[in-house]
Amino acid sequence: MTLAREVAEAALGAAAEEHAEAVVLAERSGLARFAASEVHQPTLIENVVVNLRVVRDGRVGSAQTNRLDEDGLSELAGRAVEAAESARAEPGFPGLPSPEPVPEVEGHDEATAGLEPADLARIARAAIDAADPSPVYGFVTSGTSEIAVVSTTGISVEQSITDAMALIVAADESASGYAEQTAWALDGIDATAVAREATAKMARTRDAKTVDPGHYRAVLEPYAVGELLQHFAYDSFGALGLVEHRSFLAGKLGDKVFDERISISDDALDPGGLPKAFDFEGVPKQRVALIEDGFARGVVWDRETAALAGGGARSTGHAPPVLSRDYGPLPLALSVAGGEAGSVDELAGLVGDGIYVTRLHYLSTVAARDGVITGMTRDGTFRIRGGKIAEPLANLRFTVSVPEMLSEVPGLTRGVALINQNDFYGERYPFGVLAPALATARFTISGIGSSPGI
Amino acid sequence: MRQLCESAVEAALAAGAEYADARAVVRRSQSVSTKNGRIENVIDVETEGIGVRVLAGGAWGFACDRRLDAEGAVSAARRATAFALASSVGRSRALAPLEARSGSYRTPVAIDPFDVPLADKVDLCLRAEAALRHDTVVVTQASVRAQREHKVLFSSDGVEAEQELYETGAGIDAIAANDELSQLRSYPSAHGGSSAGAGWEYVEGLGLEREAPRVGEQAAALLHAEPCPAMVADAVIDAEQMALQVHESVGHPTELDRVYGTEASYAGTSFLKPGDLRSLTYGSEQMNVTADPTTPLGLGTFGFDDEGVPAERQPIVERGVLTGFLASRESAARLGAGRGGHMRAEGWSRMPLVRMTNLHLEPGAGTLEELVDGVKDGVFFETNRSWSIDDKRLNFQFGTQIAWEIRDGRLGSMLRDATYTGITPRFWGSLDAVGGPESWQMYGLTNCGKGQPGQGAHVSHGAAPCRFRGVQIGVGA
Repeated sequence: MTLAREVAEAALGAAAEEHAEAVVLAERSGLARFAASEVHQPTLIENVVVNLRVVRDGRVGSAQTNRLDEDGLSELAGRAVEAAESARAEPGFPGLPSPEPVPEVEGHDEATAGLEPADLARIARAAIDAADPSPVYGFVTSGTSEIAVVSTTGISVEQSITDAMALIVAADESASGYAEQTAWALDGIDATAVAREATAKMARTRDAKTVDPGHYRAVLEPYAVGELLQHFAYDSFGALGLVEHRSFLAGKLGDKVFDERISISDDALDPGGLPKAFDFEGVPKQRVALIEDGFARGVVWDRETAALAGGGARSTGHAPPVLSRDYGPLPLALSVAGGEAGSVDELAGLVGDGIYVTRLHYLSTVAARDGVITGMTRDGTFRIRGGKIAEPLANLRFTVSVPEMLSEVPGLTRGVALINQNDFYGERYPFGVLAPALATARFTISGIGSSPGI
Repeated sequence: MRQLCESAVEAALAAGAEYADARAVVRRSQSVSTKNGRIENVIDVETEGIGVRVLAGGAWGFACDRRLDAEGAVSAARRATAFALASSVGRSRALAPLEARSGSYRTPVAIDPFDVPLADKVDLCLRAEAALRHDTVVVTQASVRAQREHKVLFSSDGVEAEQELYETGAGIDAIAANDELSQLRSYPSAHGGSSAGAGWEYVEGLGLEREAPRVGEQAAALLHAEPCPAMVADAVIDAEQMALQVHESVGHPTELDRVYGTEASYAGTSFLKPGDLRSLTYGSEQMNVTADPTTPLGLGTFGFDDEGVPAERQPIVERGVLTGFLASRESAARLGAGRGGHMRAEGWSRMPLVRMTNLHLEPGAGTLEELVDGVKDGVFFETNRSWSIDDKRLNFQFGTQIAWEIRDGRLGSMLRDATYTGITPRFWGSLDAVGGPESWQMYGLTNCGKGQPGQGAHVSHGAAPCRFRGVQIGVGA
């Protein structure tokens, strides 16, 4: 039994309520962050957080603590009861879920769980050495996250998830390149290869030119595709966005909305991603088809939003943590189907004349309903001329309608990469996007930013 | 808590650290949110633990433990020291000198927000939200929050600081929608409202119920407004949007860790260089920016930062010239100027980073009407909706929830989907007027992200409405 489940059961026992649920997230992680090729912010975290949700006469309240002794759990119960007593009865509250069988998933690796701080420091040093003499900025991290949900309705589920990641920006005053790798097992990443990819990209970015703002054809590497789609998904692929008319898919389910080459699902069961067996209510994860061959098929649901929407909507296993309930159910295992291109060079050939984008920076939604997002390109932007990746460009501001961008897609690479989307705020919960590189006929550059380099 | 911190520092020094500091933190927070007449969340959160930061072999190390007992403190200290030694490359790091001292600070609070029953907080949200309703408004929401953080810092340099910091905040939003559009209005600020370093009296003073009908009506009216056209014209920007403009295009670029590149892998760097101090023209002579962790009601108000440096007001931009950076003891020593004072950590489980405290655009003279009166053709922007800026903090693009055309010195028709864009020093160079003290307001943001692992910081910005000449307005997709 995991520590998380032990704590969840103890918290539920301390509550002694008729209707209650305990959710525990336990983290043990290390992160060796480096800048200018020196580890400067190495961080080790150990924490166990228990959230207790109490339901009294349809009134729902929650409390959270990381004090796991008898007094701490007893006070937790008292504060959760007070929260519930302070609330109003919610006629639409679907109640706590009943147990359902959860799928067996991969996602735990003993070697990764057993990594020591000295191991992380050694891996970081190897990456730094592999980049030498290029200065590198980034981190190597590994962690174990245990999740358990136990409730008075009989739910009792647990999972131990490991993850490892290397992220590197290789940069000097006038050049910069980027690479990252993420996996649920340490042997799924190669930090020295990440360093070599970043330095090779960096070397091609000197003497960057500019382009005029306007509409371009473009190739986006998986890093850029993953970040852009995850950002788009927050409003458009979750049920709450649909119910509240923020989603681009509002009123369009069943319609052809993207190029027929585009198929997107949310699939937390895929061993190629960062697998999860259940959501933060203990409801089993399901694969959800969001876009199939360009047609809008669905969004992800939790029980609360499904009850709100009515019409037979059911949870797909996407309840968020209690502190994120405002966002509604979120797709945190996006998977974009690959295409037929063998490489990004082949995609550049399909584009002919355009822009090549390695990664993005600081995205912001300009108009959610239209899927309009702005941001910057960074650490590897190039011109495409004559079907070849050509001279480097300054960082470019783009303002794109994602649906418009995906409405004409000349090609995608066959291979997909797992692109991390977790910035490690709060408690560690690894998630990412499985994305190919993508060519689009419509990418709008709206301004010119700084040159590559730090 | 003081004893635990002292034990941790002693354990770190015994394990080989040259320097160590330990922070024990106990934080409690409550939040209530309601949506469409339903309660979305009523939650009471507590977290506690100890974070130990060391310098060993010339390298930093940080480890934390949720257990506020001797075992947790010593364990964190030893792990931090071991991680630092494993990361060491054998060079030394200098810290700006800091006088040994002990002290305490407590946020002045008239009404302890934790004495206000949760049920009263629920009632306030539901009442305010009800007042937002309007025929085409499809989502109404309200939220209130309160936080109390008790923390003790003990360092091997002889600093002992005990602080109790309070925050309260609230906000309301209305989303109107039809078959084609969705439009948002918020009060008193976008993205969850505004917070202050104060007691419940701050929330009571916001007047959520009083403002709600206007907010709901404006959300509905935006569905019928014309989109903001693309043009180069004069812009008048309200204090709320100016607060974010200051945050993104002055606050972050003047963080000295970004200037030295140590944030390059995530938040980015800065267009500023260390040698720009006291020589770079940041903006027009109307531009005066001050970092002030002593400002009453600020979310960045404290007695000591998380390195133990006492709070002190510091000019950052004076009459348009860069005169200061936001620094840590280490980056101040490297620069050879200042003493730090801007190191803050999110709770006990994160390493302190250079952060904004309270960063203000100092007031000028005149009212909003007088600023508008000086514009022949332009746009008045109000309340942030979208924000993005490049990794060196040069190219930015902001969108606001609502805007108004300005014709011959008067506000005209309402505009939707308004955006403006610019390059930081060029934009600030076009600053033509800053409103006076009577229109200067402070806004508290709780969503400033930085660091790996990520940390959220709570910061405040005071600003008045401003007028800029020749701004690129409107960006199409």
